[in-house]
Amino acid sequence: MAVSTRRLQKELADLKKQGTPVGIDLLSADNFEEWFLSLEVLGETVFVGEVFCLRFRFDSSYPISSPAVQFVVDDKWQAPMHPHVYTNGHICASILGNEWSPVLSVVSVCVTLQSMLASCKEKKIPPGNDRYVRHAPDNPKETRFAYDDDT
Amino acid sequence: MRPLMVPDPHCASCNGTFVEKLENPEDDPREFQHVHDGFADDGLPPNMDGFLTGLRALFQGSEPERARSTSPTASQGNRLDGPGPGAGIIGSGGGRGLTIQIQGSPDGRSRTMIFGGRGSRRDSQGEGNHPPLLSEFLRGPPGPQDSGPGIAGPLMAQYLLAILGNRPGAGGMDGFPPFMGMPEGAENGRWGDYVFNQEALDQIISQIMENSNAGRPVPATEQVMEKLPREVLEEGSPLLERDCAICKDQFKTDTEDADELIVVTLPCKHPFHEPCIMPWLKASGTCPVCRYQLVPQPEQHGPGSPPLRGATSSRPGGSSSASPPGAFPGSSSSPPSSPRQRPASPGSSSHNRSGSGAGASSLLSNLFGSLGRGSGHRRNDSGSSTHGEGANSSSSPRDHIPGSWGDPVD
Repeated sequence: MAVSTRRLQKELADLKKQGTPVGIDLLSADNFEEWFLSLEVLGETVFVGEVFCLRFRFDSSYPISSPAVQFVVDDKWQAPMHPHVYTNGHICASILGNEWSPVLSVVSVCVTLQSMLASCKEKKIPPGNDRYVRHAPDNPKETRFAYDDDT
Repeated sequence: MRPLMVPDPHCASCNGTFVEKLENPEDDPREFQHVHDGFADDGLPPNMDGFLTGLRALFQGSEPERARSTSPTASQGNRLDGPGPGAGIIGSGGGRGLTIQIQGSPDGRSRTMIFGGRGSRRDSQGEGNHPPLLSEFLRGPPGPQDSGPGIAGPLMAQYLLAILGNRPGAGGMDGFPPFMGMPEGAENGRWGDYVFNQEALDQIISQIMENSNAGRPVPATEQVMEKLPREVLEEGSPLLERDCAICKDQFKTDTEDADELIVVTLPCKHPFHEPCIMPWLKASGTCPVCRYQLVPQPEQHGPGSPPLRGATSSRPGGSSSASPPGAFPGSSSSPPSSPRQRPASPGSSSHNRSGSGAGASSLLSNLFGSLGRGSGHRRNDSGSSTHGEGANSSSSPRDHIPGSWGDPVD
């Protein structure tokens, strides 16, 4: 059994047993390659009332390699308007790249992104969004971001 | 926050790539590489002729040494084949200098350039529409057959760039003191927004690659991993109370996989199953839980900065003894070596520029800098900051320069 399968089975079992954190729901986890979760930012934030959908893609070496995580952008879902989220749903977050650790999990990534959105003061798309979106690869893991700031 | 894409390097500012596909062959911006028959189509000023003639006279004043200097390397008859159909380049030599034939140039014709060698000029006279060779051009004095529209403007420009791209004072430039008030950077083949030789392009590419690799985790070395303390799980072990943070399973003795009985404890006291932690350490020499650095890691931005930050060095030439204080008492005499701190070996390149003063080979390597790995591919070791880790690991894929002559054009 692939390492990723075993680990994801465990995560899934914990999710079902302990439930998901507030504002996070499991939409689908039919296989061990792709999961979808919904994400809502609670409290008084610029995203009040908005719900987003996160897509996780795992390769067989998860959790050694990070999952490919992005916001779903389609007829039903929109990406949050945030300086670190491109309009195609790609997310510039160091924990999804250089600062990934196998200790992190699907839920902890969701919680981190939830807090990233919660701390947003102003709805703004990233600088250079149009250019990035035009050239962006399908898999956000193929993008190497330079993490310039701490926000 | 700037997206950079791999494997193709993208400009961090405009996000464009550096290799441009020519959609329309008619609209080739590298026009100076074409050989034209005359001046009419070139859009050159009408008095360019006189200017070029003057330049030619200038070069001819300093030719004699140049003509004789055919480097041993250049005359060995290297065969330099580009892999793609777009740029098949064949070099052949022998005692008569080096002949380079470029096939499949954008205009469909093949070009021949002969550097050095006594007999080369005679041979080339057979072909009627041949432009003068660079060696002939530099050798002079012009014979009667050279008069007339011997050298077209674009070709002249190409030769000039090749010469300007050379570094004054280094091999091959003895006859040419810096002239025309070369601006800063010209001696490296970089002149404002333009690069004139492969080496300068290499520098830019490695600069880009270095930037895009900054902050990448450094793997632990075999040596460091071997020395980690291992423990076989037994009944009554206090470890059985704890979890492996990677697979999230509790340590247990009843497992079908014998490897999972082996627990590795990092210096920061965090325990992991051996089969869980080893693949991670091969990717990043840090503790997954606390980011303790088993080997020095590059500086990282953002919150949650790793401990022992002061010990890191992200630049070559920084402190080479950057082992974290207190890291690995057992191996303190042999600090973990990170790849970027390995010194570039100066003797590894056969084309040391300051070595032979061979004009032909120097010119050649300028023109076809990275043609064929190892034959012309060389970076300067002068300690400038423009080359970093890229210059050190010769086997890494980064040594493949996208868009080099070896690549198919389309």
